[in-house]
Amino acid sequence: MNAQRHQSRSSELVGLAKVPARPSRVQLAPHGYLWIFPAFALCVGVIYYCVGYSVYISTLSWDGLSSYQQDVGLENYQKLFADPLFWSSLWHTVVFFVVVFTLQTLLGIVFAAILHSKVKLAVIYKVLIFLPVVIAPAIMAPVHRNVLSKDGALNSILSSLGLGDFTRSWLADTSTSLWAIIGVQIWSSAGVAFILFFAAMSQVDLETLEAARIDGAGNVRTLLYIVMPEVKGTVIALAVLNAMAALRLFDFPYLLTRGGPVYSSEFPGVFIYREYAAAHAGYSSAASVVLLVIALGASVLMTMRHRRSLRAEQGR
Amino acid sequence: MFEIRSRISRVILQVMITVLVLPFVVPLVVMVQVSFSGAGWGNYKAVTEVPFFLYFFRNSGLIALGVIAISYALTMMGAYGFSKLRIRGREFFFWMIMGALTLPEVVLIAPLFPTFSKLGLYDTFWAVIIPVSALQVPFTLLLTRTFVDGIPNDLLEAARIDGCGSIRTFWNVIIPLSRPMAAAIIVLVFINAWNAYLLPLAFLQNAEHEVVTQLPQYFRSQYSDDQTKQLAGAVLTALPEVIAYIGLQKFFERGMAAGAIK
Repeated sequence: MNAQRHQSRSSELVGLAKVPARPSRVQLAPHGYLWIFPAFALCVGVIYYCVGYSVYISTLSWDGLSSYQQDVGLENYQKLFADPLFWSSLWHTVVFFVVVFTLQTLLGIVFAAILHSKVKLAVIYKVLIFLPVVIAPAIMAPVHRNVLSKDGALNSILSSLGLGDFTRSWLADTSTSLWAIIGVQIWSSAGVAFILFFAAMSQVDLETLEAARIDGAGNVRTLLYIVMPEVKGTVIALAVLNAMAALRLFDFPYLLTRGGPVYSSEFPGVFIYREYAAAHAGYSSAASVVLLVIALGASVLMTMRHRRSLRAEQGR
Repeated sequence: MFEIRSRISRVILQVMITVLVLPFVVPLVVMVQVSFSGAGWGNYKAVTEVPFFLYFFRNSGLIALGVIAISYALTMMGAYGFSKLRIRGREFFFWMIMGALTLPEVVLIAPLFPTFSKLGLYDTFWAVIIPVSALQVPFTLLLTRTFVDGIPNDLLEAARIDGCGSIRTFWNVIIPLSRPMAAAIIVLVFINAWNAYLLPLAFLQNAEHEVVTQLPQYFRSQYSDDQTKQLAGAVLTALPEVIAYIGLQKFFERGMAAGAIK
């Protein structure tokens, strides 16, 4: 640093005829604290305030409203960890994440590859795949309830295909409710995967593709060995987006099944909201804190991953 | 990108994509079809006669505007600060904000309910705008910081040599150069704010303060389970978004794809 200052002073002395040593950016840049303060205050204020407050509430027996609060220490946590409903809601989150992420990735790649192959009416297919992403889950929920009901569209399609034995009330059956919600989520989010892969695939170097083709690689091999390695970053981005969606999931399970029947499609979001609405604010907050710890762990992992991949990119 | 030479394989591909897209279309067709069954247009008439019908749209619009304004301003300022200005412990502050990246909104309800009640914010739009913005900013900031990192420092230095302070540099260099990113962010935040369901459900009580996502559910509680009117409500509330998407296709797709822009 000293040397640098020395250098810049000497170049000043010599004058502008000589190329002046460029001062490092960090030395000259103005302070940025005021610029980041609003975002910091809002996010950290709201979020860490809520986290702190949740931790406090989780040690209480409280209905969430009245002035009567009783300190119960860690009792809520003991009860929570012994609650099979909470564990099954976490398990459902894992299943949801794995299945949605896998199928979404597959569908996204297939759609993007096909629509990159000069099929007719590509714009229309694109709009139809992406439309479900735009419409609010809460607005689509009654539609999905209708489609998945006993005499809904899904069952009539199955019957007309000769699969009448499979018809059922998809959301009211304990063996299918979770899968119905997973299916609905794939319906409403496959468009994101498609758009991401579509964009990533248009970045693939055309000369490499041409070279592969001259070497005799067919379309499938081109996709697997040339295109796939190029879109790896997109798969990671999708994993991040899906993890966020899985941890936050509320609208679909709440509006489609209320977590039922018999808690077969329970998710942490629904669990926390139901306990809160049932005036068990303390118990609900204990579940919130556990979910928060999981979410925080996930964000740390993701931010690390993101920064590392950026650094790798810059180093390239 | 993929070359399909023979006519047969071209037809096969076309059939394949059509079959794959069909499941995505079915719910949309059902939505429109069922909304007209029974009373036909009467279902739509019944929906428009819901008390404060137009308020649902106005309220969602106001909330979306508030969230967009706050998120945009805070994101741009924050990205400039984190990317180009001098901050001791920059990464520490950044990570503290990023801690909220995966925060589930449901955990905000128990602590914010008594707080908003005490501050007199309960059942005002601020009770939705503030937490929704707080949940949006970490993600938009992550994207935008990466984007602003890509703006060459030489450009900022040139501005400084020309006598621009940080405010003018922000206004005349950062804002115009980040416009493509801004469009993506605004669309992304708009979708998330307009589609928000849980926070309005928890913090808005008065019938005059309800938002579009609550309209289809109105007929579930009121008339037990009147599907035709629910779906008519769904069509009416989905319509503005569908029109906005078809009109601004490129921006919507870019907004949702923003996660992939590195």
